[in-house]
Parts: sequence; structure tokens; C-alpha cells
Amino acid sequence: MARGQGRRYKWTILPVVAVPVLFLAAPIIFFQIYFSLHQWTAYLGDWWEAEFVGLENFADVLGDERFHWSLVRSLIFAGASTVLCLLIGFTLAYLMREPFRGRGLFYLLFITPMLIVPIAIGYNFEMLLVEKGPLNQMLGWITGQEIRVSWFAQPIPAFLSIIFIEVWNWTPFVFILMLAGLSGMPREPIEAARVLGASPLQIFFQIQLPLLRPVIVLALILRFLEALGEYPKVWALTRGGPGSYTETMPVYLYITSWQHFNISKAAAMSYLVLIIVAAIVYLCIRILLREKRALEALYRPSS
Amino acid sequence: MTRRTRRKLADVARYTILGLWLVVVLFPLFWSVMTSLKPPYEWFTWPPTWIPNPFTLNNYRVAWFGELLDTQYVQSASIQTPFHALVNSLFIAGVSTALSVALGLLLAYGASRYGILSERALFRFLMLRMIPPIVVAVPILLYYATLGLLDSYVGLIVIYVVSTLPYSLWMTKSFIDEVPIEVEQAAELFGASRLRTLWEVVLPLIRSGVVATFLFILILTWSEYLMAVTLSATKISTLPVQLSKYEGATEGRLYGWQQAMSIGVTLPLIAIGYAIHRHLVRGFSFGMLKR
Repeated sequence: MARGQGRRYKWTILPVVAVPVLFLAAPIIFFQIYFSLHQWTAYLGDWWEAEFVGLENFADVLGDERFHWSLVRSLIFAGASTVLCLLIGFTLAYLMREPFRGRGLFYLLFITPMLIVPIAIGYNFEMLLVEKGPLNQMLGWITGQEIRVSWFAQPIPAFLSIIFIEVWNWTPFVFILMLAGLSGMPREPIEAARVLGASPLQIFFQIQLPLLRPVIVLALILRFLEALGEYPKVWALTRGGPGSYTETMPVYLYITSWQHFNISKAAAMSYLVLIIVAAIVYLCIRILLREKRALEALYRPSS
Repeated sequence: MTRRTRRKLADVARYTILGLWLVVVLFPLFWSVMTSLKPPYEWFTWPPTWIPNPFTLNNYRVAWFGELLDTQYVQSASIQTPFHALVNSLFIAGVSTALSVALGLLLAYGASRYGILSERALFRFLMLRMIPPIVVAVPILLYYATLGLLDSYVGLIVIYVVSTLPYSLWMTKSFIDEVPIEVEQAAELFGASRLRTLWEVVLPLIRSGVVATFLFILILTWSEYLMAVTLSATKISTLPVQLSKYEGATEGRLYGWQQAMSIGVTLPLIAIGYAIHRHLVRGFSFGMLKR
């Protein structure tokens, strides 16, 4: 039963893969294609009698400016929140890489946000940011004036608030990854560099950062993909408003299906998004695979 | 500057930065707890009250026991029996997590010891999780409607098992990989079957790891909102779905009740997270990174 003789047992995976594919993935793809090619909304009769419209729905989605903007917003949202998470998470991890008093407590408190039910976070922040909320009150104390910003009524503050909520929620994720990476790092090269007279900055940029690269890539990719699909917090916080200024792709998809009940359009849209995201995921997985091997090489000497 | 003062300065800088972020992290939590203890007339005041006066547990009574104490708000929210949602959440999260871990464990064992999944295939499994759930929500709804699986336990549990399988597979695999293979070879010499080897030799060795995996996945299934709200009507609505109902049509959100609910939903997760904090890295990085 050495690890090498896998080929003989490969077939045992078949049922585990075949059942979900046959009974879940295949029907889902079928429904997605069927509804995107037929015109059907929840008001109409039975779905199997829907009218065939060919690629009309796809054309509709592709020509829909609101859809384009929702994609752009999603990319900005995911990109910005990922970068901020990384910066803050890394800073925290770097400051905590070596033992000091209160480290354990800081660690526990810092990971708390990612343990909270996402929809609850959305409602919680809504409460902090409303016009009569504590944030405006505190801003008032700082500036000495009465501040009544309605954070959800203006495009840019609203968009900033959905980015911030994502950062608040998921910085802990980057933080624990970075801390694991920093504390699992082999010490020998750093010691050697120090002995040879390298400055702390040189050590950081030429040894620690390159060694940490796989972990950083891992964190960036996982975070970015998750943020692309983020729905509950944004929905609870702004519902895509004001207007559609915080309407990310998942929110627009949700609105199309459950508020406009335009199931066919939603199906075409989700099909397109599925293709786009699958391409991104495929690319990311190739990168991840490469980085994971680098990661294993990194951990081998230290353990 | 002597070495000691430099060290002290570094310490001050460290505690200042960490302290600042700590305030950012804790303030929303503080506000949530305080709001859950406020009487209704303090929910929307300006300037906002920081410390409730008087403290009241009424919100918890309304949110968790369905007692209607503040009648002026009753009409604005349809109060359902919260225990119904609690039982649903416990059942759905519990069963789907157990199934996911069991399945993941078997797959992980096969992958680790027999190479039934190449590394590339293992990574393909991650795709299951990385596709945004909203993309498949509509097709799943229509499919389930056709099968008559809407608002059924089976339907939601299947989705949860499949969507958390990558986590349980990767996480348990990282634990199994740490068990030296010689242990199993010894068991094999004594004539133990493979399943028995897994059950009696490997499993006890990685017991804490399996428990951590179970709890980790419980965090995910317990807090899931989108699928739960899409696939449920009334019968299987879970706690997060219930939580989203505390929005009055006219007065805005029923802050006190909502926060009382959300604290109750969240506290167990925080407790679980703290208990398995050593393994959270493995979980969230799909077992790719150990700590």
C-alpha cells in the first residue's frame, strides 16, 4: 500500500464523482441552458412550455449596461478589499510574529470577525453607519461639528462602506495565513544574513518576502475569489443602493431573479458569469498548484 | 539611542498599532451587544446612547422566546417561533457537517494512501467552492422546484455537503498525511481490513483533527444565508434566514431584536472558533497551510 500504486484504486473515486455530477451538476447546467434559451418568468405557467427565444437573453444581458457595471464593481470591490486585507493582515502578522505579552489574547480577538455570521455583520454595520449612528457621532467629536453623513445615500461613501465591511470581516483570514507563514519560516537564512551584516530592510525584502510569496499568493487568490461572490453582507448593508452604486454582480443577479422575477435573464447572466468565473478560477488553480509545491518546499526543511 | 530605549519604542509602536486595530475590531461587537440590551426607545435616538439605560433583556425574550412585550412594534415584523429555526439550524448544520466530514475523510484517506486523486484533481475539487453560490442559486431553485425538493431538509443538506466537501477533504487530508504510514502497515500485518485500519488505527490518531474539521465546517454551514433563503419557504428556515426577517416595513430595522438574535446566532460560532483556533488556518486555506 505504498503511495505510488494509486492507479489500481483510481476507479473507487468514480461513484463519489459520478453521483453529484449526474444528479446535481448536470441538471443545474441543463436548467441554466434551458432557461437562458427560453423566455420564462415566475408569472408564466409551467416552465417546460416556455417560449424558445434562442440567444435573445444572452444578447439582452450582454447589452445591459447595468450588468457591465455590476461586473466592474465586483472586480473593484474584490480587488480593493483583497489588497486592503493583505496590507492590514500582513502588518498585524508581522508585528505579532514573535512572542510578546498578550499575544494569545490579541490573536483570539483578531480572529473574531471571521467567525461571525456574515448576514449579522451586514446588519451590525448598517446600525453603525446610519445617519443617527455612532460613526457620525464620533466624527462629530473629532471635527467639533455636527456631522450627519448619510453613508448609504451617496455613491462613494456607500461603496467605501461595502469595501470596509469586507475588509473588517476577512482581514483575520489573511492575518492567520500570514502569521502561519511568518512563524513557519526557516530561521537559518535570516540568521545567516544578519551575521553577514544585512540591514533589517534588506532581510525583509530579500529573504522574508520572497519566502512568504506562496502564502501571499494563496491568500490573495482565495480572498479575491471569495470576494467576487460576496453577497449577504452587501445585501444586508445597502441592498445595492443608492440607485445601483453598490450593486455588485451577485447583488444584481439576485435582484434580477427575486425582484424582477426575470428568471430567463438571470439564467443567461449566471451562465455568462459562471464562464467568466470558471476561467478565473481555472487560472488561479494553476497558480495555486505551483505555489503549493513551493510552499511544501518551504516547509520541509523547517519541520 | 541605546538598545533598550529602541526596544521600548518598538514595543510602544507595536501596541499602538495592534491596539488601534483592536478598537476597530471590537467596536462593532460592543455596539451590537449594547444595542441588544437597549429598550426600544433608545434604538434610534440622536445622539445615540452608548450604554443602555436601563439595561433590559426584553429583546432576548422577544427574539428567542417569541414573547411580544413591546406591542407597538409587533405589527411591523412577523414573529415566528425562533425555536423552530434553532432546531432547523441545528439539524441541517449538524447532519450536513457530519456527512461532509465522513465523506471527506474517506476521500482524503484514499487520496493520501492510495492516490485515488491526483494533486491536480484535488485542486479541481476546490472549484466547487470557488464558484460564487449566487451563480448556481437560480438553476438549483428551478431544479428543486421540479423535483419537489424545495423547502425540504434533504435539498438543503445535499447542497451543504457538496459545497463544504472541498474543505473537509483538504482539511482531513492534511491530518492524515501526518500519520506515519508504518502504523498502518503494522495493522495490516495483523490482518486488519482497510476500513478497520482506518477506523481503529488512523481515526484515533487524528481524532482531534477530525473534531476540528467538524467544528470548522459547522461554522460554514451554520452561518450560510444565500442558499438557505433561496431554498426555504417556512418549513426549513434557519437562524440566519430568521435573522433577516427583523426589518420593519415602516420603522426601519428592529435593532434591539435583531441584535439579540444575531448575538445568539453568533456566540456559539465564536466559542467554536476559539476552541479550534489552532486549526483555523488549515480550514480556511483548505488544509494547504499548517500551523
